[in-house]
Amino acid sequence: MYPIVDHEVLAPRVHRLRVQAPVVAEKAKPGQFVILIIDEKGERVPFTISDWDRDAGTVDFVFIEVGKTTRQLAALQPGDELLSFIGPLGRPAEVDHYGHVVTVLSGYGIAATVPIIRALKEQGNTVTTIVQAPDRERLFGQKPLEELSDQLILALGTRGDGMMESTTVAVRKLLDAHPRKRIDRVVAMCSLCLMRVLSEMTRPLGIKTMVHLTPVMVDGTGMCGACRLSVGGTNRFACVHGPEFDGHEVDGWEVLMARRCTYADESILQQGFQCRGCSQW
Amino acid sequence: MTEAKQPKASPKKKPKLNLNRVEMPKQSEHERRHNFDEVALGYSWELAKEEASRCIQCKKRPCQQGCPVNIDIPDFIAALQREDIEEAAKVLKKKTSLPGVCGRVCPQELQCENACTLNKKGAPVAIGRLERFIADWERTQGSATMPDMAPSTGKKVAVVGSGPSGLTVASDLAILGHQVVLFEALHVAGGVLMYGIPQFRLPKEIVQREVRYVQSLGVDLRLNTVIGINYSLDELLNGEFHAVYLAPGAGLPKFMRVPGENLNMVYSANEFLTRTNLMKAYLYPEYATPLKMGKRVAVIGGGNVAMDAARCSVRLGAQEVYVIYRRTRAEMPARLEEVENAEEEGIQFHFLCNPTGFLSDGRNNVAAMELIRMRLTEPDESGRRRPVPIPGSEYIMDVDTVVVSLGTSPNPLIPSTTPDLEVSRWGTVVVDERGRTSKARVWAGGDIVSGGATVISAMGEGRRAAAAMHEFLSNGQKKIIPPSPSKDGES
Repeated sequence: MYPIVDHEVLAPRVHRLRVQAPVVAEKAKPGQFVILIIDEKGERVPFTISDWDRDAGTVDFVFIEVGKTTRQLAALQPGDELLSFIGPLGRPAEVDHYGHVVTVLSGYGIAATVPIIRALKEQGNTVTTIVQAPDRERLFGQKPLEELSDQLILALGTRGDGMMESTTVAVRKLLDAHPRKRIDRVVAMCSLCLMRVLSEMTRPLGIKTMVHLTPVMVDGTGMCGACRLSVGGTNRFACVHGPEFDGHEVDGWEVLMARRCTYADESILQQGFQCRGCSQW
Repeated sequence: MTEAKQPKASPKKKPKLNLNRVEMPKQSEHERRHNFDEVALGYSWELAKEEASRCIQCKKRPCQQGCPVNIDIPDFIAALQREDIEEAAKVLKKKTSLPGVCGRVCPQELQCENACTLNKKGAPVAIGRLERFIADWERTQGSATMPDMAPSTGKKVAVVGSGPSGLTVASDLAILGHQVVLFEALHVAGGVLMYGIPQFRLPKEIVQREVRYVQSLGVDLRLNTVIGINYSLDELLNGEFHAVYLAPGAGLPKFMRVPGENLNMVYSANEFLTRTNLMKAYLYPEYATPLKMGKRVAVIGGGNVAMDAARCSVRLGAQEVYVIYRRTRAEMPARLEEVENAEEEGIQFHFLCNPTGFLSDGRNNVAAMELIRMRLTEPDESGRRRPVPIPGSEYIMDVDTVVVSLGTSPNPLIPSTTPDLEVSRWGTVVVDERGRTSKARVWAGGDIVSGGATVISAMGEGRRAAAAMHEFLSNGQKKIIPPSPSKDGES
């Protein structure tokens, strides 16, 4: 069993859990994920690791309450235990010295990208971070991003506060300044729609754009094939080949988006998600 | 040639050959279409006695040679004939720790029962059903028969994967006095016995009971631990373990690489069965894992896994279930018994056709599939008849759920993190005839070696590898062995 040692509410319906799991903490790297099961009747659900402490043997992840399992998780308190907590799964995010890296984050990605940004900084990169949130109330996790990033741009859904209205406008401004103010790489952990749009925006400029994809998973160790997607014309499995992929090579966006709708009513993946046929465009 | 006559002479009480194989009661097809309870109900003691009495105890013991784990079949049947079920259980347990599993899922018709002398008359002794009877009887007795345990050798072995192969190695080596740690990536032990084979063919309580039996031999089971991630193979070997057995099982499912294969409601058999069996989607919403099912299901493939997926579909409420296979019934790799069960449950078989693509309903859900008719070529040099498409014979079939059951390729997690472990060009781990890999102190077996085979062959590989590992552990590094038989107090 895996005890919860800390539970923090970061914003309405946004939670951070800290779990005692020394074996996972020991090998965790930026961009990897865990699969947990709450209890005997629970489902296997993936969450991207947002932090870890090897000495204390703890692993953190941030989630948003959207379905049955995440609501159940939100009710857990220190002292409660998880039945299963497997990880670190997937390949770590690629990190090297690139120059100027733009990261685009929303949802749990706001927290889960922090280890990647930290590693990018350790490699001497300049990092510009764009954070998208519906409004100021639902913004969280600003502080570590401010500390780590050379520039932090908040893209909130509401006007005012001198903030950008949408992420794509913020990204467009940065891209317009390229290559004068050169961008060497984009790393995105945000909504699927936004990652797709970003990949299309950077494609003509040839700026490598890494996207973090979390298709539906069941076992998470390369056995079930639920998380398959088409990348560069071949089938890849997000749990063992990803979850980070080159956004310009992903050629199954419609199917990926549609797949998330398969369990839209039951799954943890949708944040107030309503299928508006967006997968059709 | 004349064995059938020979034994008649010696045991004089044996009457003449009884060729009436005792049938095993089953749930009616009508009833079982609507539940996940076990289909085959097992022999009663009366039926088991009757069937056991048919064994002529021939001297050659061909059945035992036909068994991949070399169970002393004539001896356990003789014990049944003497009405000593406990002794029968003891005989069984000498060679298998998983009798409840083997009695249910082994293809006996190709192994022990195929070799049975009475098979020459077309009525082999129902060895599998008797094995199952003994295992089930033991389960109702509460306490399991324990084997004689060797004193501790002081050697420590890691077994990677708790499926049939890993469980066999773990119990064999534990009985021989080695300390065994059994690593499992999932949250329960049993591997394919838990996630793959459905409840109605192999109840999960039976698997878990046999896992607990292996634990009672002193095997230390560590769930939720992925070798290749949490510990590399080298970390195991450089750490506390003298030897390692690799049996991580099946890996990534194979697909056909035809258009539309990633549409919604196109599943791999592994996903479909994992949701259904391991995660108990058939009990949703009591269990949290859902499984979206349509009304017209096509299962692609002709193996046992395809039969399992098709039969699960029926029970999950599909109205029509089709099995699509590109050769004919005669070439189907599935067990005849499973094909017959599937047919009784109303599953329709479509032979000599192959999907060429899947069509969307406009919202990326599968709505139909395109197939092409196939024909078999004349036998080639190897005697094999290949299926080839008949040009211009394409047609469309309406389906709303597809399960692709074409096998798996080996899981890359361990080979990719172990550069000096030799793998074939298909990604399977290369071993010698006793399971030894190219890497010192490492043996392997099961699907990671075969690429995908039966439960019993994985157990057989485990049995052979365990013997080789025991030799290695006993001969090498004698100096480390402490002379005192200090441990093994548990039961």
